[in-house]
Amino acid sequence: MTTLERLEKILEERYHVPADRITLDAPIDTLGLDSLGTTELLFFIEEEFEITLPYEPVSMRTVGDAVHYIDEVLATRPPGAPPRREPTPTAAEGVPLEASPERPA
Amino acid sequence: MRRVAVTGIGVLSPLGNTVDDAFENAASGRSAIRRLETPWAKRLSSPLAACVKFEGEAHFEPPRLRMLDRVSQFAVVAARQAMAEARGEHSGIEPDRMGVFLGTGMGGALTTDDGYSVLYGSGGERINPFTVLLAMNNAAAAWVGAEFGVTGPNLTYSTACSSAAVAIGEAWSRVARGDLDLAIAGGAESPLSYGTLKAWDALHTLAREDSNDVSTSCKPFAGDRCGMVLAEGAALFVLEDLERAAARGAPIRGELAGFGVTTDLGHITRPSVAGQVTAMRSALHSAGLRADEIDHINAHGTGTQANDGVETAAIKEVFGERAYAIPVSATKSMHGHLLGATGALELALAFGTLERGVLLPTMHLKVPAPDCDLDYVPNAARRGVTVRTVMSSSFAFGGTNAVLIARAAH
Repeated sequence: MTTLERLEKILEERYHVPADRITLDAPIDTLGLDSLGTTELLFFIEEEFEITLPYEPVSMRTVGDAVHYIDEVLATRPPGAPPRREPTPTAAEGVPLEASPERPA
Repeated sequence: MRRVAVTGIGVLSPLGNTVDDAFENAASGRSAIRRLETPWAKRLSSPLAACVKFEGEAHFEPPRLRMLDRVSQFAVVAARQAMAEARGEHSGIEPDRMGVFLGTGMGGALTTDDGYSVLYGSGGERINPFTVLLAMNNAAAAWVGAEFGVTGPNLTYSTACSSAAVAIGEAWSRVARGDLDLAIAGGAESPLSYGTLKAWDALHTLAREDSNDVSTSCKPFAGDRCGMVLAEGAALFVLEDLERAAARGAPIRGELAGFGVTTDLGHITRPSVAGQVTAMRSALHSAGLRADEIDHINAHGTGTQANDGVETAAIKEVFGERAYAIPVSATKSMHGHLLGATGALELALAFGTLERGVLLPTMHLKVPAPDCDLDYVPNAARRGVTVRTVMSSSFAFGGTNAVLIARAAH
């Protein structure tokens, strides 16, 4: 899949953007994503492409800007994000209830 | 002071996802308390809970759903129910004359737990980019206000187990004073994560599993009571100026008549008779009622050693000899303890009692404890009873005692 196809997949699946509206020159803020949606989109891009975007704001006005930027990052950095592991609780086992006095609630 | 009507009630609870379903199940003595089947439940000393059957996908589009912790989903859906019943969106009330008052003890606890699990449990680096927005305690109230375009006060109350009762009482006082014409008020809680359950487990305040029947594990006022059971859910009310509500033909379920709130200073968890007594008397005073005008009490009734005896003593001090003639129900025996939402669910059930003349039972009460000698409506509902007033009590860690009084519609 090309970068555009992978980005289309995110926009279609996560934001229900109709495929025919996802063109390279389409401004992202016309696809139904507000500023928070765009922040979330960056998160999904990082997951999909296993890259880490810089903390400073990235200029990605259009879908084409995003594709170009992702391709740049992919070209200059090897895929670095470690595979995500399932969360595992680490707290110790509880002690028996009988051992302690009641408390109110 | 204006009189305050309840024109809509929304409920998502372990006993059902409307106020009528929840009431019917409670009247039948059905307990929603179960053993949790999640993989981490076996690591809890008390793997019990009362859960709501609820899938957010049925109520929200995915982009919105991703911004809503389960607690906010509960609050918004319960508010939709209440506002639909009240026909609140067609009330003609200006947005700045409406307010939202919501209680929650733990806010977006599931989101917080998820984030910690990734960071500390898995050693991961990436958490949900909306963690702050999902987890913040006022998120649920904010989404409720946004849903209905409310531009008056949008306030969140977090006083542990009395959060919802405080929120409803504060809303009542604003509407009664004339500051607002309509308030959406109640509580929402979604605490059933491993981290939260483990924290309560560590406090040794949760009920042990009844080996004969898990669903009977919470036994308020009983000699063999051994603690509370955590639960989730929400209940929200539409409160309105009664005269205005009547004039617009809104359905009036009853009247919220009074509110009292006091604080215990002696101990962070130990309840005090004096604090509960003054809260009950304050509620009576604000309602303009004498103690002998209360027909029924929906107790805090947690099933813990400390609460039930103290609450019984407080009722006796307020009502004197007549305390023995007032039926007292502890519905937590069936729906568990919804923490910051519990006072709202119990008030919703109280309105059911006013409307139907059915006293809900305190279940799993075989032998009352020696310090619990009132009429707790043990083990079976009583029907055909005339109930004009109900007192609903919530007492909290941190010492906040909140008491609401509901009155039947005339």
